[in-house]
Amino acid sequence: MKYAKAWILLLLSWTLTLPAFADLKVATSLSDLASVAEAVGGKHVSVISLCKGYEDPHFVPAKPSLMKAIQDADIFVSVGLELDGGWLPLVIPGSRNPKIQPGSKGFVDASEGISVLDKPVGTVSRAEGDIHPLGNPHYYADPMNLTIVADHLADVFSDLDPANAADYSANAKDFDGRMEKELKKWEKELKPYKGSPVVTYHENFKYFTKRFGLKDFGTVEPKPGIPPSPRYLDETAAAMKEAGVKVVLYQPYYDADTAQQLARKAGATAYLIPNEVGGVDEAKDVFSKFDYIVSTLAKAFGGK
Amino acid sequence: MSRFKLFLFIGALFCVPVLSQAQTRSIISNLANPAIGMSALFLGQAAPNLNQPYGIQFQEAELSVISTVDPYWTLAANLVFAADPTNGVPDIVEAEEAYATTDSIPNIQIKVGQMRTTFGKHGLLHTHAFPFIQAPIIMGNTIGFEGFKDAGLEAAWLTPLPWYCELTGGMYAPVSNDINGQGNHPLDFNSNAHDNIPYLGHLKNLFDLDDNTTMELGASALTGMGDDSLHHQVLGADFTVRNVPLNQSNQRGWILQAEYLKKVSFNSAVYNQETDGWYGSFQYRLSQNWWTGIRGEEAFNATPDLSVDPTENSLTGHVQRATVDVAWLASEFSEMRLDYSLARNDAGTVDNRVMLQFNYVIGFHPPHSY
Ligand SMILES: [Zn+2]
Repeated sequence: MKYAKAWILLLLSWTLTLPAFADLKVATSLSDLASVAEAVGGKHVSVISLCKGYEDPHFVPAKPSLMKAIQDADIFVSVGLELDGGWLPLVIPGSRNPKIQPGSKGFVDASEGISVLDKPVGTVSRAEGDIHPLGNPHYYADPMNLTIVADHLADVFSDLDPANAADYSANAKDFDGRMEKELKKWEKELKPYKGSPVVTYHENFKYFTKRFGLKDFGTVEPKPGIPPSPRYLDETAAAMKEAGVKVVLYQPYYDADTAQQLARKAGATAYLIPNEVGGVDEAKDVFSKFDYIVSTLAKAFGGK
Repeated sequence: MSRFKLFLFIGALFCVPVLSQAQTRSIISNLANPAIGMSALFLGQAAPNLNQPYGIQFQEAELSVISTVDPYWTLAANLVFAADPTNGVPDIVEAEEAYATTDSIPNIQIKVGQMRTTFGKHGLLHTHAFPFIQAPIIMGNTIGFEGFKDAGLEAAWLTPLPWYCELTGGMYAPVSNDINGQGNHPLDFNSNAHDNIPYLGHLKNLFDLDDNTTMELGASALTGMGDDSLHHQVLGADFTVRNVPLNQSNQRGWILQAEYLKKVSFNSAVYNQETDGWYGSFQYRLSQNWWTGIRGEEAFNATPDLSVDPTENSLTGHVQRATVDVAWLASEFSEMRLDYSLARNDAGTVDNRVMLQFNYVIGFHPPHSY
């Protein structure tokens, strides 16, 4: 029986490999990009994401099985801005797939056309931690940025599969329209809390706070990629108390204990929110992800 | 104003902006410069049975550059500056790697140049990526403490099988083994015969056991002809189970690894098993900052690589060694490692060491493979 289980697991792992029947086989580095690709591609594409939603996109283990999974992909969509720069340089060449190497038509940098926040001015120094030298790559936290990605993907899909071009552009238009409609709903839900401060684990929520008029008070980690010292937590908690910050946000791949410890010290509450699709079970696509985030925040600020 | 002066004046009007531009612009562009990185290793050691003073030494620094050449090729190079382990003098400069790769052929990656050949598991690692400060003894007896480094050509085929199954073939230049027995190049591939083209075969299989765990099985063989007209061959087998919890990929995980290597020489009439050995290790990640590990190993017919007090006994023959290790990673770019190792052979010679290693990386460093 034990062996049977192992074999079933092996078979399951093989299913990560892309099926062959779709017109376009699309792979993405991030689950949000996969969700957009599915919306734009519709029935003509099969999509996989290499990074799962509960996995830290900065530190995806460059497993050979990921290379295998994209060996036959037609398109690879990277987040860009070096968020996936720690593992794509192994996984993309390792796939031995010329169609998706940087410089080929099938390699897409989804950050093209995005207005990037936090672009470093002057020299970049790792004394500031493992910073993102090209600016904040967590742009997918702003719903409107995903419409830019959708339009971009529609162009790429149409270019590589002209027969279905009309469908791709219609799907992208639908996606954009739905996103605008949903955005109005989310804005309405969060309107009473404009200006409310939040502490996030990492600076991965800035595009969201900017879009919805919330205030970034600080981060649980003192510098990107550096875990907090007890002293830093004490100081941050004291500052939060003074400013009346009540909400700490963290993702499934960050240390929940640390986030909760900070919240306790500051008299605040720590909330798990998915920054990426799949971060919690309810976040099945980009729309339900934002639904989950917005309702969690509304409850948090509303004190319910 | 004479016509000449007018000419000068008009000329000056044109020249001033040209000159001021020349001061800020250059026809030598640096926009396509390669990514550059450097790593440095410093080693402190206290070994009572070793005929060396205790203290901190420079171990090595590695300068690495990598860039896309054109739409077809990528070029990478690693230049190593190292201290001679026998006297600590930092006078070794080695073009450890300088190779081009292409990803424009479906399913096959071609690598040409000076490279660390694709043999086994530990033999693929750069010194600063070793999981323990010392390489396993068997490495120095077979392909070299830092793997087999040579000029040649390799093709790595990712087969269409449903799991990750990679088959690599390589052919290299004839090379001599090193004479001073430092274990850096123990293989004699130095025959002048026209048909002496040292070659390699490597098979790597990787299975996902679940979302967090992989199992890797590998086999390698490297063969060439020596000055003695014998074929010299190293065979290897490796087994690795690795766990990285996907929701804690930067905080937790463990690696269980074992590797066996064997060196033989033969012709149609004779077959000598020269040396063989193995290591087994378990590394465990306690947190984002802390790793710990333990390793056991055994080498048969080991040659004098663990030189214990050169005037007295050497630690050769059947050698066993145990190592424990603790590493503290302040960030992704720096690491301090403390190791204790105890080795002994059948003759009762013992070597125990405490080592402290400082490891730094600046600039761009290509990510280490999984
Ligand atoms: Zn980030």
